[in-house]
Amino acid sequence: MNWDSFIYFAIASLLFWAAGAAAAYKCRNKTIPALLTVTGLLIFALFIAGLWHLLERPPLRTMGETRLWYAFFLPVAGLLTYLRWNHKWILSFTTLLSAVFVMVNITSPDIHNKALMPALQSPWFAPHVIIYMFSYAILGAATLVALYYLVRGKKISNPERLMLMTDELVYAGTACITLGMLMGAIWAKEAWGHYWSWDPKETWAAATWLGYMVYIHYRLKKNASYKMSMIILLFAFVLLQICWYGVNYLPSAQQSIHTYS
Amino acid sequence: MAGKGQSKQPAGQREITYYNGSSPDLDETVRWHRRQVEQMKKRSRSIWEQPWGYREGFIVAAGIVFSGLLLQLTVANIQSALFASPLSGIFGVLFVTGLLVVHFLLPRNSTVRWLSGVYAAVPAIAILLLLCIILGLIPQFPHNTGNEQLPSTRFTPLGWYRMTTSWPFVLLCFYILIILGLTILKRTGQKQSFRDIGFYLNHLGLFLALLGGLLGSADLERLTMHVSEGEIEWRAKNNSGDIKELTLAIQLDTFLIEEYPPRLVLVENETERILPAVRPESYQFEAVGKTARFAGVTVEIVDYLPHAALFRDSTFLNVVPMMMEGATTAIKVRVNETAGNQPVEGWVSNGSYLFPHSTLQVSENTSIAMPPQEIKRYRSYITLYTEKGTARQAIIEVNRPLQVEDWMIYQYSYDDEKGKYSDTSVFELVRDPWLKVVYTGIYMLMAGALFLFIAGPKKGPQEKKFFSARKKQTKLLIEKSKFTDSQSNSI
Repeated sequence: MNWDSFIYFAIASLLFWAAGAAAAYKCRNKTIPALLTVTGLLIFALFIAGLWHLLERPPLRTMGETRLWYAFFLPVAGLLTYLRWNHKWILSFTTLLSAVFVMVNITSPDIHNKALMPALQSPWFAPHVIIYMFSYAILGAATLVALYYLVRGKKISNPERLMLMTDELVYAGTACITLGMLMGAIWAKEAWGHYWSWDPKETWAAATWLGYMVYIHYRLKKNASYKMSMIILLFAFVLLQICWYGVNYLPSAQQSIHTYS
Repeated sequence: MAGKGQSKQPAGQREITYYNGSSPDLDETVRWHRRQVEQMKKRSRSIWEQPWGYREGFIVAAGIVFSGLLLQLTVANIQSALFASPLSGIFGVLFVTGLLVVHFLLPRNSTVRWLSGVYAAVPAIAILLLLCIILGLIPQFPHNTGNEQLPSTRFTPLGWYRMTTSWPFVLLCFYILIILGLTILKRTGQKQSFRDIGFYLNHLGLFLALLGGLLGSADLERLTMHVSEGEIEWRAKNNSGDIKELTLAIQLDTFLIEEYPPRLVLVENETERILPAVRPESYQFEAVGKTARFAGVTVEIVDYLPHAALFRDSTFLNVVPMMMEGATTAIKVRVNETAGNQPVEGWVSNGSYLFPHSTLQVSENTSIAMPPQEIKRYRSYITLYTEKGTARQAIIEVNRPLQVEDWMIYQYSYDDEKGKYSDTSVFELVRDPWLKVVYTGIYMLMAGALFLFIAGPKKGPQEKKFFSARKKQTKLLIEKSKFTDSQSNSI
């Protein structure tokens, strides 16, 4: 199982996810869309497992490998949101966003490289990156909700319910980035000698975290403007993108110790 | 932090109340009207008039950054060493005592109440976020870099090239600590609920981690120590180059490097670029007799020497097995680039500090080459002596530091030039007396994050109503389905 066979697994998964998203509109029952989405997820997970086996290391080192996890977790976040909140549209959006990341991986796949540098050989490696990718997916779903709100505006019949859903997504996502960041801190103490070195990746992780802190605290006041809350969310997601891959293109990151590919 | 703060809305904020389709109950309507009336009053509130809101929050936070900038321009960056122990400890105690005094002596002061709430916190976080963005955009230099080594731009006097030791940044961090501390203290005086567990874990955890990190940076010691095989060393250097004698000594018994198997690539002769240029391909050596296809060529592995010596006379390259220090890896390959062409056979090597690397030309423009092998792991077998007279053996490698008394000893580096034949190991020794405080904070924050993940956002009366309505709906549906089930069964 290598990147050459990715396209088949990806297309099969995307078809199942798309079918699940369509079924969410058609079916009254939530079981069929859920089953279709889960089948797609299983196929995708099979590819990740196969790649892990082939590389003899967790496939979490390169940007392409993190995109793989992101494409996997987006429908997971979409499915959880759908099951809890009944929003039919969320599955189609997460499928679409996942398809974008799948496309990027098909058009510019990574090179096979089994090497894992000594600093990455740690039990913290997999949980640190996986929990980050999971939180990025949840916060991606929250961003989709924010965009939905800002575009639909007054047409939304029950905005306070939508806000509560957004809050739940942000709380779950922020809890995960907090865990991911702190696991990173403990790992950094073991690998690099200090828990926080203001490496560019760490700085942008802190900025992202602060962005979501602004949202969470701003929302605590009941008179908080919904529109402003959603704009804060969009801004925080931009910070998240810089932290994830944008940082590689910044002049400040040329000496980053967080670059592995 | 909401609840009681309800009446303190800043001017210009719009109150939005929705009734979820159902008719509002009476006391809620009464409350809503009361709030509207209060807001009408508040709208005429001028700036600095209590109770303060976000506007004052931004002005105060910006004022703190501005005062920091003035300090920065007059006395330049903070020399954290000046605040080293015992000053850091004294400062920590005074800071916490100060917060306690303010909390207990001025419980009704409106500024203190404002400081322990969202209207002060959100602007402070937002301004810190702004500084973090600058910190993330501008390349940073170590805090002991001399001013003359910094780029001379308009950002230099502002301290932006060493942001984390600049006055605006540090002052803002302490301002946030004040807000955090007062917020925690204010909460202790309120009626406690289940959700407060999450509140205390997160806020007290962050308070400890941040305070420990800030004060700890003054006491943090990081030294490097070079030890050659068979030798004992007890002196280490800090990053300014000063030598410090330690109460422990390291004897390096053996230093070992393990490498990944060698890789073969096709390179362009002129540029030495790995082909194909868009997506470089490579083949990792598996065994003799294997055939691989990469970058459009088929390569057969004919022979493999993990320890080889290369001798080149005027026309030929002779490769012989040689168990010696400085020996290199060599692979003999047969390449069939295109059908019809004669296959090319020869040795490829990535060289060592003794032998130059060697490529095999396969066409006019291309050659097979072997990049330096990637390092899999490196470790030091040491004997550690302490002043008390104890001696023990240990292994130190990346991600597996060794704790000795106050010091953590890390595998840091080795002699790059000699590569896998390095007989020198470089260690980093780190001492951080505040680590326990920071770790307590970190673990509390992790527990707090788990709590938030499970508990989710606080639900107001509206949301609770929605959830109970949904529960009822589901119950109804279940009962209905049971009913139809029993009906269909009876049929």
